[in-house]
Amino acid sequence: MKPEINLALINAAQEIIGRFSPLIEDEYERSRLGSWGALVLISAMKFNDAASSLEKENEDIIHWLNPDRDDLKKMKEEGYVGDDKTFDQLEKNNQLLRHKINQKMVNLEIDKDKKALKEAYALMRSMHQRRKVSDFIGLLQQSES
Amino acid sequence: MSESLKSLFSEYYSNLVGKNISISSLERVFGGASRETYKILVSDASGNQEKLVLRLSQDSSLIETEQKTEYLAYTAFQNSNVPVPELIDMNEGAEILGKPFMLMKELEGQAANPFSPNIYAPYEKELGKQFWFILGQIASKKIDDKIFKKLSLDTQEPYWKIELDKWVKVINEDSIGMEPVLEAGIRYLYENSPKLNYGTCLVHGDYRSGNFLYLKDKITGILDWEMAHIGDPLEDLAWALSPIWSWQDKLKPAYLISREEALKIWQDSSKISADQKYLDWWELFAAIKGMAIWTSAGHEFKTGTNIDPINLFSAWIPGDIHLEIILDFLEAKL
Repeated sequence: MKPEINLALINAAQEIIGRFSPLIEDEYERSRLGSWGALVLISAMKFNDAASSLEKENEDIIHWLNPDRDDLKKMKEEGYVGDDKTFDQLEKNNQLLRHKINQKMVNLEIDKDKKALKEAYALMRSMHQRRKVSDFIGLLQQSES
Repeated sequence: MSESLKSLFSEYYSNLVGKNISISSLERVFGGASRETYKILVSDASGNQEKLVLRLSQDSSLIETEQKTEYLAYTAFQNSNVPVPELIDMNEGAEILGKPFMLMKELEGQAANPFSPNIYAPYEKELGKQFWFILGQIASKKIDDKIFKKLSLDTQEPYWKIELDKWVKVINEDSIGMEPVLEAGIRYLYENSPKLNYGTCLVHGDYRSGNFLYLKDKITGILDWEMAHIGDPLEDLAWALSPIWSWQDKLKPAYLISREEALKIWQDSSKISADQKYLDWWELFAAIKGMAIWTSAGHEFKTGTNIDPINLFSAWIPGDIHLEIILDFLEAKL
């Protein structure tokens, strides 16, 4: 058992913010390094579940799109790979799926299908909630002070 | 950079004022994404000191803007109810300092982090009154004809369309991924356009918390006019009201005073009665424009054009907040 990657990043961020940044006399460079520390800290906190969150997001989108077999086949031809769980592939799949959401939303707006649009917004809110890092805004303020 | 800039600036400024000057200090200010800003303290042989601010164009900046635009905007408001720094010089070439630049006198005061709640305490009420009053003054200011012409575009399109087209173009060019919420917001704006200009003024373009200097309870300067343009007065109002600038206390736009008070002060100052229907459109536009700026920042960072952490921060934090604002707006309108 080795220390985890996110733990390494958290410690690196703390060293940057608390140890190295205060040593820099130039105000601009000190602020810049402090910001890097806070951004590394945010990265560390999102790192652990980044891939699993993205996988869940993709599953939720597929469920909402409710594609039939032909659509799934077409998606695979377009680059969607179901079994590859690397982050890069999940991100690629996610982009493909997001284009499909957008296409479907255009149609729902034309049809003025409010019920389905409400579901679409609910899906997008859950996607946003899972991804967003804006809740960590306090960390950046701390690093500044 | 600092040493070579010091030497170049020293030679340039000595020539400009006609006497030998030395540079006592030259410090870069952190945070600017479209300009490199330096505070410079110069001294002459008699020991007289002068505090200056130098704004250099970035090799790569969030949004490409010309030094001339900012210079003209500052010029338009010299000696007016809108406090701006006194201009000294501007150069659009790279032959003097290696980049286009603008030079001005430093104003007293400090700028706040726009994302820090309670940053203006205990003076938020006084500063709030001034902040919204000054914005009203910008909206109602009669701009010098020559400056107006130089900043005007040769088009008959309404202001809302000029601005929306401009920022959608930025999004399309710099996008690093599909964002359905953003696309839905853009469609909403085109489908629900205001149809008319609400008035004409010199729009600051980035009037918000963090872009003004204050000294205790007094606003001493309105800064960062690089996105100034001729447009609709509701554009600045909506941008300044955007919840992103008071995300942790949404009842007080810009972390100053309540929205109701802010709107009343702005309307009294500008003599413009803002219709909420039009303001709604501009408030959604503000979030889309914000997304264009944060998208551009993310693009700069991802492509390695400019890996300043401000670009990663912009793509992450304000990008998330404006996206949520768009989502809130669209859901509320459903």
